[in-house]
Amino acid sequence: MTAEDPEAGGGLGTRQLVVAAALALAVVAATAAFPAVVDARAAYEIPVEREASAGDLAEPTGDAWESVETVHVPMSSSGAAVPGGSDTTVESVQVAAARADDRLYVRLSWSDPTANASTDSLRAFADAAAIQLPVSSDSQPPIAMGSTDDRVNVWYWNAADGTESLLAGGAGSTTEIPESTVETSATHTGDRWSVVFTRSLSSDRANVTDIDPDEDVNAAFAVWEGSNEERSGQKAASEWYYLSLGPSEGATPYETVLWAVAGIAVVFTTLVTVEGIRRTRGE
Amino acid sequence: MSKTGDDAVPQTDDATRQTDDGDVPLAEGVDHQVAMVMDLNKCIGCQTCTIACKTNWTESGGREYMYWNNVETKPGAGYPRDWEELGGGWDEDGQSRTPGELPDQEDYGRAWDFNHEAIMYEGSDEPLRPMENADWGPNWDEDEGAGEYPNTYYFYLPRICNHCTHPSCVEACPRSAIYKREEDGIVLVDQDRCRGYRYCVEGCPYKKVFYNAQTKTSEKCIFCYPRIEGEGPEGEVRPPSCAEDCPPQLRHVGFLDDEDGPIHKLVNEYEVALRLHPEYRTEPNVYYIPPYAPPQTSESGETVDAERIPRNYLEELFGQQVNEALNTINRERDRVRQGEESELMEILSTVNNDDQYRLEVFDDDG
Repeated sequence: MTAEDPEAGGGLGTRQLVVAAALALAVVAATAAFPAVVDARAAYEIPVEREASAGDLAEPTGDAWESVETVHVPMSSSGAAVPGGSDTTVESVQVAAARADDRLYVRLSWSDPTANASTDSLRAFADAAAIQLPVSSDSQPPIAMGSTDDRVNVWYWNAADGTESLLAGGAGSTTEIPESTVETSATHTGDRWSVVFTRSLSSDRANVTDIDPDEDVNAAFAVWEGSNEERSGQKAASEWYYLSLGPSEGATPYETVLWAVAGIAVVFTTLVTVEGIRRTRGE
Repeated sequence: MSKTGDDAVPQTDDATRQTDDGDVPLAEGVDHQVAMVMDLNKCIGCQTCTIACKTNWTESGGREYMYWNNVETKPGAGYPRDWEELGGGWDEDGQSRTPGELPDQEDYGRAWDFNHEAIMYEGSDEPLRPMENADWGPNWDEDEGAGEYPNTYYFYLPRICNHCTHPSCVEACPRSAIYKREEDGIVLVDQDRCRGYRYCVEGCPYKKVFYNAQTKTSEKCIFCYPRIEGEGPEGEVRPPSCAEDCPPQLRHVGFLDDEDGPIHKLVNEYEVALRLHPEYRTEPNVYYIPPYAPPQTSESGETVDAERIPRNYLEELFGQQVNEALNTINRERDRVRQGEESELMEILSTVNNDDQYRLEVFDDDG
């Protein structure tokens, strides 16, 4: 296109069009990059910080956790068919995750003014927390303890009895896996429980999640309030989240697609508007 | 004997009455059903059954407070205290469980420490007594009963797990850790499956499942199954030790579906052996011959034509059927007084253990 082009009609329309197109392209480019800059964490993502060494990650109050992003995870009653199944008290849990030396560290922290650390009498129930993972690391089993075809591992901590590694294939099927390699450390300070769960990423045992160091893995969280006699399916539970171990940075693919579609729509609308103005002016 | 599936079992108070074809309905999936009949007119409250059970099963290891077999005074608060107020069981249609509560640990009482040391070794002349405040325990209200002198009344009520046909403890467990075993309907807690949730403790309206705070699991009466399987003393089949060790021999033990046995006759033919609190709708397999106390007396000691134990109190415990049961027993007693024969009175007054304990009748079953 040149200035002598009769179609240019004095050049104004053409220049407008070029500027508009350039702006529109800039919008497309910006929108694709935008979420990575402003919203570095996707919905349901638990970023897993890579640390050069474990340091004091195994301690709930370790300094190493200060540089790890914490995710606020809302929870609600699991709704299980047990007495009081919809009567739970804990509404959210703060989740942070890190990896070092081929081990995964996940810290759960929640508000609980009463530390219930005993099951030594009939009405005493202990505070507890759990992380649920799919046995098959690329799977997303039914949220309520998985199913017979799609089972789950549960890393379970209880303030009275310590740590268990559990296998479940549906509600009511929970079974302890002997010789668990899951370790926990817990502390109750300032009306909060903080519990670190840690395990080596890899596992060659049957029915134990083998976590691929380069792939995201789904995870869900639950907390039991002992003072409310919570146990079994009477628990506050999250939806499925995922531990972000994979290489992708920033936005998830579906977010990128959505932003790109939005950008193209902006370009299209701009071009149509400019063309409309040109025609209105009779150019 | 045949077993009858759940679909043939009416979910009512009299679900195990004889059906038209003579078969006794049992719980689904159960081949035979153990049962026990206790004659409350013979109980002297000596607690030998309680101690027999305790020395066998609950002496230590977190079981100190447990009495799988207890004998309480009625009227009275019982063990655990006010257990009849704690809910559990089934609602009127027999399909939904009624919410239950966990008893307070104190309601079971606890083992008191006594001042034995001071008295035996330190020369103290204090009376022997508990060293701490003792304000409740099993049988705290023993022999208090109710009523006004000279017409006070009470009787003893021995209680074990009822090994119910429609057990709400089994239904309460989300893990199926408590179950009714196939061969004889005994209700057991699988100690490997139990995770100590205590829903069974809440769910049992008779409060006969107990939480062990040391093992973190729930435990209960096992109907002495090793004894009835012949794994007890001398390798012989024996009845549960609460029955065998009873001085007045007030218990019959056998199978509800043994139609030639005394239990079937007492429960289904004469209908004089009744369930405790049938309105809980768990369909117990422990049955009671109701107590018939002497009549009331006047202040001068003359016999009065009035029942000592109020009939409405017995109805509260055993339902309306108690009236017909007492009528039947009275009728049969009169027959014997008049020199006639009574099969019912023979069953109730037998001193032959072979008639009381029939546990090998189904041994030839495949």
